[in-house]
Amino acid sequence: MAAADTPSASLRHHDLCSRGIRLARKMRSDVTDLLDIYVERQGLDASISVAAVEGVPAAAAERWAEQTGTQRLLDNLAAYRAFRVLLAQMLEEQREQLGDADSELGPALAAVLLQVSAFAYHLEELLELESRRVPAEEGSEPPAPPRLSLFEQKLRGLGVLRELAQWAVRSVRDLRQLAKHGPGSSAALGLAESQ
Amino acid sequence: MHASTPPAPQPRGLPVPCSAAHRSPFPLSPAADPAVISPQDPTLLIGSSLTATCTVSADLRLRAQDLYWTLNGRRLPANSYTALGPTTLSVALGRLNGSRQQSGDNLVCHSRDGGILAGSCLYVGLPPEKPVNISCWSRNMKDLTCTWAPGTEGETFLHTNYTLKYKLRWYGRDNTCQEYHTAGPYSCHIPKDLALFTPYEIWVEASNRLGVAVSDVVMLDILDVVTTDPPSDVHVSRVGDLEDQLSVRWSSPPALKDFLFQAKYQIQYRVEDSSEWKVVDDVGNQTSCRLAGLRPGTVYFVQVRCNPFGIYGSKKAGIWSDWSNPTAASTPRSERTAGGCDPKGGEQNTTLRRELKQFFGWVKKHSYGCSNLSIKLYDQWRVWLQKSHKTRNQVGSTRR
Repeated sequence: MAAADTPSASLRHHDLCSRGIRLARKMRSDVTDLLDIYVERQGLDASISVAAVEGVPAAAAERWAEQTGTQRLLDNLAAYRAFRVLLAQMLEEQREQLGDADSELGPALAAVLLQVSAFAYHLEELLELESRRVPAEEGSEPPAPPRLSLFEQKLRGLGVLRELAQWAVRSVRDLRQLAKHGPGSSAALGLAESQ
Repeated sequence: MHASTPPAPQPRGLPVPCSAAHRSPFPLSPAADPAVISPQDPTLLIGSSLTATCTVSADLRLRAQDLYWTLNGRRLPANSYTALGPTTLSVALGRLNGSRQQSGDNLVCHSRDGGILAGSCLYVGLPPEKPVNISCWSRNMKDLTCTWAPGTEGETFLHTNYTLKYKLRWYGRDNTCQEYHTAGPYSCHIPKDLALFTPYEIWVEASNRLGVAVSDVVMLDILDVVTTDPPSDVHVSRVGDLEDQLSVRWSSPPALKDFLFQAKYQIQYRVEDSSEWKVVDDVGNQTSCRLAGLRPGTVYFVQVRCNPFGIYGSKKAGIWSDWSNPTAASTPRSERTAGGCDPKGGEQNTTLRRELKQFFGWVKKHSYGCSNLSIKLYDQWRVWLQKSHKTRNQVGSTRR
């Protein structure tokens, strides 16, 4: 019997999913607030259309319902690892340009970065519980970003936060599906649910 | 077959209006720049003018007349535009105001459909002014915190960086303070490695995109700017049955017990339902004090603070500590007002007059001349009065 199939593993899996869902919900709420602050501080119009940010997997999935639990976890992990790098870069740029003077934006960015790191760790735990090898970080990071003008940096930041907000919603749905089906489910979760 | 279900979530606060949806999104890759704005991210003085140009990539098949400009999201009037070529449009901005946000004003070149072709951040402001009013204090002689004001005119509209520097007078090397914003927006904290008995030179450097300004140098000896922790163990208790008095006791700050210094204290107190504090500032160097003239049956909050001065012979006035945490105590309930009924103002006045009359009669009997008239005497009389009330009440109850 695989470790992932034992009753204690099921309990742990359920517990990890529940905590992950709570974390993703909180992250979504915080990112939404952060977006408001960001748009205001950068003097941007919230309706500006920004192209997909290089290195961030899009939250929108064409065949989402057909994904297996492991696939979902791997997609999430890749996305949050990328966000971790991008947010750290945004924080660095923010500090370079405005120092610690902004008592709202800097701490809010740092808080979301922390949540993203915690969520990535959470996903790794879930993958380990499924007896899956957690992919190494090397190579999963996006390539060094191109040198952008200050205005482009502002727009890229907006793009990153928007995509992160979308991912937080998707992650809640992914984890809900995982929680329903238990550990080690290799069937397409959405399909399994519909059958 | 089950249809695929893309989550396509739309979180709160992310408005993507229909008008924006059809626009071509702004690409974030220099190779794909559809247009270039010149100058890119300039820094300008308030009141100056700027002419910026937007040159569209030939691949886009856009002409100068297909373009327009916005500044912080507001469309700039067409009469400020000039077509400098088939694909280049300029805009003239006169008498610029200070930047609306420290991250820079957004000057953006758009295509006719509203899509963003290129953007440039404008930093419009003033060079920093000389920082002023540098003020420092050392808590228990262990650290040093300094605050300053950014200058008389205030806002520069640009992010201005402040660096506090210090060095021992006569001994050369400049040091830079590392912990900023510890006591407000213009402050820095030096946590350790401070020398006593030699004055420090302290100054603040302000810098932004438009220049640098250095404050005057302040000279100070740590011993002259010592403050301490608020007094510990503040106890407030009743004075026997005296309904208008409370006794306050406290300990001197332990952190300074090994140093030769004098201390003076202040007390402030207020009633529970008021935010107005009354200050007693003639406490001197005693570590106890009696508060008189209080309302009977009332809860009072009391705080104490300390001013250590004369450390190792320093001649400076010393700096008051923070107030201690409030300690609460209540005065005894007045026997005459017991029963929950508050006396009316008129009745209170009559009582006071009667008591004063009684007091003066008693003084005539027990003191010799006005020189001996003091609050102590008044206290003695109150004790006497309460005893006589008690005796009367006891007699009354035994009679019943």
